[in-house]
Amino acid sequence: MKGHEPTRFASPPIGTAAVGVMVAIGVLAIVKAPAELTMGDVQRVLYVHISVAWLSLVGFVAMACCGFRYLLTRQLWWDHWSQSIGEVGWICSTLTLITGSLWAHAAWGTWWTWDPRLVTAFILWAFYSGNLLLRGSLEDPLQRARLVAVLTIIGVADVPLVVMATRWFRGIHPVSPEMEPAMHVVLVLSMIAVTAIMLLLLSRRRSQLQLEHRVSELLTQAIE
Amino acid sequence: MNIFQHAEQLAWLIHKDLVIERRAKLAWTSMLLMGVMVAIVFSMQTAVPRQYLPGIAATILWLAILSAGMVAIDRAAIAEQQDGCWEALKLYPISASTVFLAKMTVNSIALLVLQCVLVPLFVILTDLPLLRHFGAMLLVSTLGSVGMAAVGTIASALTHGLRQRGTVLALLVLPLLVPLMLAGSEATRLLAIDDLGETWRLWVQFLAVFAVVFSTLGFVLFGCLMED
Repeated sequence: MKGHEPTRFASPPIGTAAVGVMVAIGVLAIVKAPAELTMGDVQRVLYVHISVAWLSLVGFVAMACCGFRYLLTRQLWWDHWSQSIGEVGWICSTLTLITGSLWAHAAWGTWWTWDPRLVTAFILWAFYSGNLLLRGSLEDPLQRARLVAVLTIIGVADVPLVVMATRWFRGIHPVSPEMEPAMHVVLVLSMIAVTAIMLLLLSRRRSQLQLEHRVSELLTQAIE
Repeated sequence: MNIFQHAEQLAWLIHKDLVIERRAKLAWTSMLLMGVMVAIVFSMQTAVPRQYLPGIAATILWLAILSAGMVAIDRAAIAEQQDGCWEALKLYPISASTVFLAKMTVNSIALLVLQCVLVPLFVILTDLPLLRHFGAMLLVSTLGSVGMAAVGTIASALTHGLRQRGTVLALLVLPLLVPLMLAGSEATRLLAIDDLGETWRLWVQFLAVFAVVFSTLGFVLFGCLMED
């Protein structure tokens, strides 16, 4: 069946080594980055926060694209991608909320407040969680793939409406944080490092799902 | 099949659901009781200065509509699961889009009936002039009901036959309805303070866009939800 070979990126020596190097560079950059004048070291959490927030948003759109492709082609290959992205996206979304809260406590003096971006991030997390819960409630792989595909398409149509509705209220979340040029370099490096980790996780998980599917196919054939 | 045959099938499905509700009283009675209870319990907490009352009351009104409305949509879907009704519905020579439109219309009617009870109740409880602009309130209620019914109908079909149906339904519906709740509360608040200007029109347009987007998505995707 098409797409049942593990991806080359997931091969342990090359993939892990490449990601290891990138993560080392990212961690080193975050540690060596100049400290922010007013917030001090707490500001360093921002490098991780922006990286995971970006990935959680991109992941949701990618998941909806996979769902759409599944409904068109009915190949489980697309659902494996969708599931992997959903799980990695949930991790990113959860980290976005945690790191955002840590930063907010230092910057605004509160863990959580009514703000358009915070609400949007929470809604995104709720969509990821709903997606995982729906998957966990269904046993038939074809039914699961079909229903989750519909859910992700509905969800991706809702996110712009959430953003639009909440933007009309006044917010305090910075749109684009002011940084020194050195900090910008660190931000880019940390984004590359975090993206590399998530891509590795995504690739591994997808390979695992495909192997699981192959095993279940062979078992069915053996029983028949 | 021409458009008149589709309309006839749609009318027949709506009639079927309304007759079932009239005879069995499965969903609407519990919905109305739930709505009234939520409205009264939450209204006890509105002892706030007069200038904050419109915002708080409007939010409570829409929370009451949401919680009671979901009871109605959930109960109607549970009734459809019993005695193989859903499977029988799939066997009818009717398109899935027509089934979606029928279910959405019945759910919209239920939510409108609910608002016919809750809005006057809120006028009594909070003394806010929500019915001064009756046409404007009706417009907000209708658009809100259609949007909520569209999302509820899709979500109840998505969670059809699941083990943890209630939990999954709530977790799917609540995030989807956040924009509608914000728009509905804001439009109602502005109506209560007699401000039907540009901002109010913007929120009403938003409610209309929400209703159109989710009705269209449901119309197009409902076939995937009815597959075996």
